[in-house]
Amino acid sequence: MRWFLCLLVLAPFAYGDDLLPDERRSIARDPIYGQALYSLHAGEYDKALGFNYQLRKQGRKGYGKILDIHEATAQLGLGMSQHAQKQYKRLLSDSRVSFLPAPARAQAWFYMAKHFYNKGLWASALTAMRKVNSAHMAADLKDEYHFLATTLELFKGKPEKADKHILAINPDSKWAVYAYMNLAVSYTERDVHISKVEAVFNKALLLTSNTEKPEALADKINLMAGKFFYATGRGRSAIKHLKNVSLDGAYTPKALLTYGWALTEQWQYHDALQPWYMLKTNHSALNQDVQETLIAIPHLLEKLNAKVMALGAFDYATEQFDDIYRQLGESANRLNTGKFIEPLMKQQVPDRWGAFETVDLSLPNHPDQVYLKDVMSQGYFQGELKSLRDLHVMRAQLKFDMADLNAFEQMTKIRRDEYNIIKKEAQVSKHRAHLSNLKSRYKKLLTRIDIAFKNPDGSGLASEPEKDQLATFKDVSKQIGQLSKRSSLVESSYRDRLRRVEGVLKWTLSERYNERKKQVSQNLALLENKIRQANQQYKAAQFAYQVAPKTFKGFKNKIKTLNRTYQKQLTKLDRVYDKQREKVGSIVKVDIKKRQQRVMDYQLQARLAAARLFDETSNKQRIVTGEVRQ
Amino acid sequence: MKAIYSLASSLVLFVSLCISFSAYAADQAGLDAEIEELKAEVIELNRDLFDLEEQLLYPATTSFAVFVSMDAVPDFEIQAVKLNLDEQDVTSHIYRAEQVEALRRGGIQKIYAGNLKPGMHSLKAEIVGKDRDGRPVKRMVVADFGKARSSKYLEVKISNNPNQNKPDFAIVEWK
Repeated sequence: MRWFLCLLVLAPFAYGDDLLPDERRSIARDPIYGQALYSLHAGEYDKALGFNYQLRKQGRKGYGKILDIHEATAQLGLGMSQHAQKQYKRLLSDSRVSFLPAPARAQAWFYMAKHFYNKGLWASALTAMRKVNSAHMAADLKDEYHFLATTLELFKGKPEKADKHILAINPDSKWAVYAYMNLAVSYTERDVHISKVEAVFNKALLLTSNTEKPEALADKINLMAGKFFYATGRGRSAIKHLKNVSLDGAYTPKALLTYGWALTEQWQYHDALQPWYMLKTNHSALNQDVQETLIAIPHLLEKLNAKVMALGAFDYATEQFDDIYRQLGESANRLNTGKFIEPLMKQQVPDRWGAFETVDLSLPNHPDQVYLKDVMSQGYFQGELKSLRDLHVMRAQLKFDMADLNAFEQMTKIRRDEYNIIKKEAQVSKHRAHLSNLKSRYKKLLTRIDIAFKNPDGSGLASEPEKDQLATFKDVSKQIGQLSKRSSLVESSYRDRLRRVEGVLKWTLSERYNERKKQVSQNLALLENKIRQANQQYKAAQFAYQVAPKTFKGFKNKIKTLNRTYQKQLTKLDRVYDKQREKVGSIVKVDIKKRQQRVMDYQLQARLAAARLFDETSNKQRIVTGEVRQ
Repeated sequence: MKAIYSLASSLVLFVSLCISFSAYAADQAGLDAEIEELKAEVIELNRDLFDLEEQLLYPATTSFAVFVSMDAVPDFEIQAVKLNLDEQDVTSHIYRAEQVEALRRGGIQKIYAGNLKPGMHSLKAEIVGKDRDGRPVKRMVVADFGKARSSKYLEVKISNNPNQNKPDFAIVEWK
């Protein structure tokens, strides 16, 4: 029993981080390995396993056995201890393991030992622990290693070897407290002299300041010491320790109860009433310590010769036990009708599951809240409830994933429709025709421009009458030339007039040339822009056409297959969930039955004692009355 | 005769109890194994879905991702990162203690995955944390980068500057 207490102390400290080898990223910028490492250390073990698998699939070399260790660690984190165990065993029995670096090897043995220890397989844990080469242990794991070695040697190996390990633990480390605490427990079991036990308990108490929650741990140690001293008949020592347990901690009810008993053992009945009344007043009657107090108080009152008060207290206890019995019965009914475990499961955080994720036990205003917390102090039940929680979270995750798959299916449908529209509308050929049309227009225009602007004098842009006029000017000039050859009668003034008229026309034409050239270059630029845009549209249409099929082709079957697998998995999970639910339910039912039995025993005791007391007090009354008559 | 009969019956009862207990134990162990097997299968399924999601949602031609990495920087403890891509806030992340430790131990976090068109883009990363004395530290790093028709990966890198004993913040492009 004490051992069980000791395990309970240690269980919350087995955090995920503590189980991990401290490996730095060995290959720079390897994103998958980096992500695997991140997920592993951040406690996202399912993701870590996924990345690990990806690394293996891609045949990444250069990681040695570290991927195996990571895999086993992630499996431990997810509560897959059987898989992890196999993995560790395979890792360590591998003949190629000699290639494993000594630190990794030491850590692997250590983690394996720790795993066996957490599972309660202490002999196997000790065998694995003895294979650890402490010289190669990482500095931040050394204290934990020595603590675990101490514990295993104390209880499964050779206790004298434990001393060596205890001395090797840094006194500032939190592990030193646990080591001394276990040493004290070991002493109590080995019948070591009481002064030594007390010294070790005191040493452990002194070292609690190095832990994360010193008050709670000190309470625990004081309670353990108090219970031990009370059990060995050393009431005063027990009282000394129990007095130091805080009044608002998790261990208060047990401490108050034991404190009362220790005082009773010292014949301090009046003083013993105080802690028991405190316990009765401040805690729920569903608490088993309170139930014990309910029956203990009237017995104590009887000892104090307050028989009428004792009778009243017995009656009160009987009523209370009735009520507790009824409440327990209601809890059992709620268990059958899905109003007990189910609301608890519904409030669990989605995506968070695994061995290191605690079950959220807060059920505000729920009648089973007190009972649940009480029953959860049993490690076995915690493990089973965690498994149920894992299955519940996984089921929600599977359903969520299936919704994702449906969304993916819709997405591929939309993409296919888009592709069909692209295909049906023949966007590519439309754009291609438009582009070639624009290009041919551009080409034609260029030819026409070439013709029109060939002569910089602007004659290419002359209208028909202007062309006629230009031709006439040529003819007139020719005629004037011929006439001047024949006679000298032709005056130069005709030539000048002709030149002037011709000059006016040519000037108009040159002006027009410049103006039109400007206009044409603007138009050309606009056309070129249009061609560029059309070209871009054509290319985009071409790209969309090329890409569109790739974005949905090949996914349909994959999605279908995955959907089928998910359906199967969900059915399987539902079946296993029902089994596990039944298991958890049966544990609770058995526990409730035991509690009811205990309550009935108490009630029977209370009724018998009440009847006896009633007889005694009424006889006394009769005797007293008789005396008066006489 | 009566004694022999009662002895035999109690023996039969004992054997049947033993058998039923061992069958019960085997059944319980079987359930545990079944749960573990189921967990392994669900993880495998998730992995398949993750692969499908990556292929479907982030095709290689448009895929874009941002990672965060941090060396063991003694003078800085990361608290949050906010990303702004092309003047739009795309994601932010607040770190838990174990996530900070995971980064310190060499882990890389994929903080953002999305699709990006080819062309020029700009990424701003706002990093919030505290220094050794608990004073708040806020840094902004900006990177302009080009995206072609292939996947693009950027890394928000926090490294230790041994000369100044201060953290360095940068956005690094993966080639």
